[in-house]
Amino acid sequence: MNNNFDLLVEYFPVLLPVIAVELTLAITALVHVIRHPHYKFGNKVVWIFVVLFIQFIGPIVYFLFGRGEE
Amino acid sequence: MEALRIEGLKKKFGETEVIRELSFSVPEHSVFGFIGKNGAGKTTTMKMILGLLKPDAGKIQVFGESVSYGETKTNRFTGYLPDVPEFYSYMTASEYLRLCGEIAGLASGEIRRRSAELLELVGLTDNKKRVGGYSRGMKQRLGIAQALLGNPRLLICDEPTSALDPVGRKEILDILFKLKGRTTVIFSTHILTDVERICDRVGVLSEGRIVLSGEMEALKKQYAQDKVMMEFPKEKQEEVLAVLKAQHLEPLHTEVVEPSLEKLFLEVI
Amino acid sequence: MRGMTAFLKKEFCEMIRTYKILILGSVFFLLGVIGPLTAKYMPEIMEQFLPQGMTLALEAPKALDSWMQFFKNVPQMGLIIVVIVFSGMMASEWSKGTLVLVLTKGLARRSVIMAKFLTATLLWSGAYWLCFGISYGYTRFFWDERTPRLGAAAAFVWLFGVMLIAVTLLGGVLFRGSYTVLLFTGFLVVMMFIINILPSAQKYNPIMLVSSSMELLEGIKRIEDFMAPTLITGGLLIASLIGSAAIFDKKQL
Repeated sequence: MNNNFDLLVEYFPVLLPVIAVELTLAITALVHVIRHPHYKFGNKVVWIFVVLFIQFIGPIVYFLFGRGEE
Repeated sequence: MEALRIEGLKKKFGETEVIRELSFSVPEHSVFGFIGKNGAGKTTTMKMILGLLKPDAGKIQVFGESVSYGETKTNRFTGYLPDVPEFYSYMTASEYLRLCGEIAGLASGEIRRRSAELLELVGLTDNKKRVGGYSRGMKQRLGIAQALLGNPRLLICDEPTSALDPVGRKEILDILFKLKGRTTVIFSTHILTDVERICDRVGVLSEGRIVLSGEMEALKKQYAQDKVMMEFPKEKQEEVLAVLKAQHLEPLHTEVVEPSLEKLFLEVI
Repeated sequence: MRGMTAFLKKEFCEMIRTYKILILGSVFFLLGVIGPLTAKYMPEIMEQFLPQGMTLALEAPKALDSWMQFFKNVPQMGLIIVVIVFSGMMASEWSKGTLVLVLTKGLARRSVIMAKFLTATLLWSGAYWLCFGISYGYTRFFWDERTPRLGAAAAFVWLFGVMLIAVTLLGGVLFRGSYTVLLFTGFLVVMMFIINILPSAQKYNPIMLVSSSMELLEGIKRIEDFMAPTLITGGLLIASLIGSAAIFDKKQL
């Protein structure tokens, strides 16, 4: 396990941009889910979980398919 | 000058003949009530006037110029308000008017000035909300603003009041009434009281034909019945009846006037 | 022309406010980063997960491994997202009837098609070349070696993407629902794969632009071999655009 952690620390600089984009997406999606409570399907709680915990795919699926009309 | 002239217009959708031999004309500066039941073909006719649908036969002229299907030059004269106007939901009202103005080729300053004027006229000033959050009535009002943006000589409104509550209806009718004399208005509806309120000419469409048309006043005279209705305050009722009796004038029919629901509604809210 | 500029502005506003740019930007950013990273660290990571004492004889990764990731991920993930994003381009206008007002304001129907095609192509180009740039940067940083014919291979994939956009636009003019449009474009791509079964058709098939990138980089195929599919892709692109404009002209609204 210790080994894995060292690996993570070593790769952190290269992974940083990926994490930054990931977070931007997740936060933008989260704000949108909370401020526009109309979805094509699903409900607020489901979408909050999806955009926060399914990395990358979650927010993209939300914006492409789940986002309702304004 | 005739704002609109339609001759021998026909349109079929599949096997259904929606418009058969439709002919009528609308003189400039009049407010024309285009009356008909739901599905009588009012929207179809209007879309043909705008070149959005292709007529099977017949001629349409707007201010003497023929309408051609597709991109018609005559649309520079017209403003159109569809029955359910739809806008890009991610834009604000003034952004939408800017888009319309730029498409119509208005100068930037002109767009700013006209937009401000029109948003004031329809009561949407300082609305920073995106259109997606608008109510039906607000959309209808923005619809009027965009229709009037290019100072059209002919305004075509498709059922502008049908989907609205009485307050919204009154607001829209008031706006249209203000245009009287400056712009020719064609206004389709199945609500007859609206027609009576603002139109000076009417055409009644039934089964794809105009079955009755002419000036409102003339029509009223032509179909007038020799009846008079008078309204007196309630406390004078006895007195009036006494006077009539003294003169040996027996009314054929008396009734107590009840307040209309519409009046009540407008009073209480 | 005025109407076209105004409508272009509207299209870009739509792309920003409906989060299309955010989606494309982040997907292609990720695709740009993930190729070189996977190529570089996959062997090490795999070793970490192997049971103690076991060793795996893995070749040291090279720049070509990174580009293999790129030319696998972009045509698959990337183009699918592009088609999904742009399949609603016309559908959103049809379903709400928003075109009626702008067309009666005097917007030429051709401008609608051109503005939509330009917007989609610009976004695709921006996202794609950003992705390529990131991938190039990381790959050079990790291996510092030049890959010959890389630019050509990348340009072929880009052209294929532009053609898919034109086809998707044609689908949008033909059909009103965005899922039907997806099926239309998907059907066309599947057809190309089926045609590819015929050996005699392979050298003309547009699918070569995205399926043979590695063969080009490895020198198995030459740039000249791509000329016929490129011309056919170009033809398909122009035909789709002209078709879209012609059919849209005849549409009753």
